Amino acid sequence: MWQYTAAAVLAVVVVVLLEVRVLRTGLLGTRPYWIALTICYAFMIAVNGWLTKLTAPIVLYDADATTGWRFPWDIPVEDYLFGFALLTLAMLLWDAAAPKSREVAAVIPAEAAVRSVSTESASGTRS
Amino acid sequence: MAAVDRYQYLLLMAGCLIVTLPLEFVFGARVWRQPRRLLFALVPTVIVFAVWDIGAIAREHWSFNARYVTGTRLPGNLPVEELAFFVVIPICGLLTLEAVRRILERAR
Repeated sequence: MWQYTAAAVLAVVVVVLLEVRVLRTGLLGTRPYWIALTICYAFMIAVNGWLTKLTAPIVLYDADATTGWRFPWDIPVEDYLFGFALLTLAMLLWDAAAPKSREVAAVIPAEAAVRSVSTESASGTRS
Repeated sequence: MAAVDRYQYLLLMAGCLIVTLPLEFVFGARVWRQPRRLLFALVPTVIVFAVWDIGAIAREHWSFNARYVTGTRLPGNLPVEELAFFVVIPICGLLTLEAVRRILERAR
């Protein structure tokens, strides 16, 4: 009973522990992460809503494996934990593999220069 | 429609890739252009979630509507669509994260 529920909660705990104990990227304390996660959830509701809609489901869930709570439409609430674990794990590993600051320093000024030029021209046309 | 129906899940995943592609080129997310870093993020994630999925399918926690999937199964009875999901959705997430970062950097 509630086996998917339990597995989904465990997945969230494991991913958070991986960050706190091992990777220590600091991602979970940043604004971009939470904004990105909110945007992802908005799109997830559309995609997952399509996958799980009971009128023509693509994925079918065993009633005994979940709480049976579905929101909105027919999305099992467990899927939000699953989605959190999937997205956050990938983002944590992505940040853990970020180029070292020296390489970043070599890339950023060039990009910043391009950006400031484009910003100037943009503001120029506006005024 | 029946012939297209079998590709519904795969087409949904293709749609996710297409919709998020502008994040790379319009917002400068630079996810697709760092293939080694992308693989570092994806490979362990795909393995962990594929193993979970294989276990859940074996225990019948969830199953797939034969009408909307191709029927192609990988080792462990894993539908090819599920592998696509574990590759595509993290890519969408990374593109979103990096696009948000670029936008906030520019706003500063």
